[in-house]
Amino acid sequence: MTKKINRRTFLQSSAALATATISGQGYAQSTSGESPVIGGKFSSPAPIPAKKGPRVVIVGGGWSGLTMAKYLKKTNPKFDVVLLDKNQQFVSCPISNVWMADQVNLDFLTHSYVEAAQNNDYLFLNATALELDRTSKILVTTLGSIKYDYLVVAPGIDYDYNRIGVDNPEDEYALRMNYPAGFSSASEIMAIKHKLHNFKGGTLVLTVPSGNYRCIAAPYERACMAAAIFKKHNIRGKILLLDMNSDIRIKAEGFKKAFAEYYGNIIQYEPSAEINGVRVVDKEIETDFDSYQFDDAVIYPPVRASSIIEEFGLSDESSLQKEAAIDPFKYHLVDDESVYVTGDSRSQPFSKSGNTAHSEARYVAEVISAHADGKQIEWRSPQTMCFSGVRIDPLESMSIIAFYKYDEAEKSFAFDRSHLMDKWNERAGQAGLAWAEGMYRDMFYS
Amino acid sequence: MVFKSHSLALLALVLASLLINAVAEPVTIKLTFEPDLKNGQRIYEICASCHLPEGWGNNDGAYPQIAGQHQNVLIQQLLDIRSGQRENPTMYPFVQERTIGGYQSLADVVAYISTLPMHPQHSAGPWRDYSDEYKAGEVLYKQKCASCHGNRGEGNNDTSTPKLYGQHYPYIKRQINLVKSGQRIVNSLMQAVVQKLTDEQLKQVINYISYLPVPEEERAPSLNWRNTDFY
Repeated sequence: MTKKINRRTFLQSSAALATATISGQGYAQSTSGESPVIGGKFSSPAPIPAKKGPRVVIVGGGWSGLTMAKYLKKTNPKFDVVLLDKNQQFVSCPISNVWMADQVNLDFLTHSYVEAAQNNDYLFLNATALELDRTSKILVTTLGSIKYDYLVVAPGIDYDYNRIGVDNPEDEYALRMNYPAGFSSASEIMAIKHKLHNFKGGTLVLTVPSGNYRCIAAPYERACMAAAIFKKHNIRGKILLLDMNSDIRIKAEGFKKAFAEYYGNIIQYEPSAEINGVRVVDKEIETDFDSYQFDDAVIYPPVRASSIIEEFGLSDESSLQKEAAIDPFKYHLVDDESVYVTGDSRSQPFSKSGNTAHSEARYVAEVISAHADGKQIEWRSPQTMCFSGVRIDPLESMSIIAFYKYDEAEKSFAFDRSHLMDKWNERAGQAGLAWAEGMYRDMFYS
Repeated sequence: MVFKSHSLALLALVLASLLINAVAEPVTIKLTFEPDLKNGQRIYEICASCHLPEGWGNNDGAYPQIAGQHQNVLIQQLLDIRSGQRENPTMYPFVQERTIGGYQSLADVVAYISTLPMHPQHSAGPWRDYSDEYKAGEVLYKQKCASCHGNRGEGNNDTSTPKLYGQHYPYIKRQINLVKSGQRIVNSLMQAVVQKLTDEQLKQVINYISYLPVPEEERAPSLNWRNTDFY
């Protein structure tokens, strides 16, 4: 990772620039009268209008951040909301598996931050967060610093290649480039789509990580979609699905039935495949009991909270996935009620999925709004809703919806009501696309 | 499940557009559909992926109780959400013709939903029947709400007036707040009543509504009851 070098370079150059630019700029946050100071260095203010109300800065324009920005403004129009994302446009990770199998086009997944900000009356800044000073409530970004009243950190996940026995930067980089996982960037999912459509035959390995990884059903859905692509285009390939878990994690009966009924001669499912190393040059995956040769692969390692959580000093030391140390009901840092962590970097064991992040953000927006008014609101469960494509042309899907409850005795969250529809059909396929369209509509266009 | 069938009248407003400067009068078309409950059940599968097979909603008010609601009330909501008159971006694509189907399908599915038994323990407000707040809410309800929604909160299918008993307290509270802040458009009479009451009075009346009993024949026998059409 080159992030640290970039940050140092940035701070040096911005310090040099600061004397030249900090005075006389209309962008200066004149109401406070303070110059933003980070680590004794100055940095110029970010190029956004002066705040018009309590400023809430959101780091990360994924499902959580986008929903948060919209509903903060809706719940409390006085808030001055700034959404930050390092990408210029949004490409949806949910539905990307069925996009790989050509059931929707790229336009369906791609949306504009400019439109989201305009339609919902908040500010968007195409920048990366670099440094956090909680004492002065200043966030430094690649476009300058921003003083906040509330900060929401929703940066999503990073991959944790260590947990599959890959512990040197050379091998990790080779895996990221040659066998991308496809759960954190548009470039990854595009590379995977090309890989699937241009497969020359032989063995394609797909892996399912252990732990609380992003989108529990997606690796199994991806196996179905990849097999459907092979069938449709007469690609003579085998898919070896190596699962680090002892069984299919969700919709198990449905997926097993689908593997057997439609893709029996394509998909080979191997549970309990504890991956402990990948030999990139030899194209070989090692597990506790076996080793598997492959011709090509999509390797999805376990995940952790985005490294920014750790770098900003927000992570819970005891957390395996380095998730944030937050109040499990109100989402603020244990020692700071002006900083919140939501989405897939949260510490609660909720499913890391788009719908979970969306429903959670609607609730947390109300929590922050109430906090600003000196009030409190009752806890609401996030909702995990998930459609999985099984067959294509036309798309046929299964679905599950689940809610959570807090178990006082266990001091943790467990599933409350849930409903599984594992008899896939075209109507559920349609419903899955309608679900996604409704979510994009909510986050970007209404 | 026992299927009962009522014919469902649907009012569609069509604006005839005339060329040049002529003033177009609205044209009202009254359409009547004979609901097919079997097809309604098939279509409800789309709804059930969020509303669950029972249509009971959530105690925290994230989803409303739709089970047992009057069919004309339900269809009005579907049409309002379909047209954007009632803002609900996440439900919007589900109620478009390409997903749920045409008027006949809407008629079928609302007729089906209206036959579902209601949640036996929907969530109620903070003030029980011995409290002053409960009694204040009762007085307000009888003065301001009962003439349309009925003394028992039974609503009225013919006038598309929602049944109130059985609805989750946090859901009614959220909707009333939306009406009060102008984010949900309802008929002018309802709008006026909500505007006139103070926040405290609204809370009292919503609390009272949440304690209106659901008639036994409309209630599911227990919390464990499941809609076997989908299991």
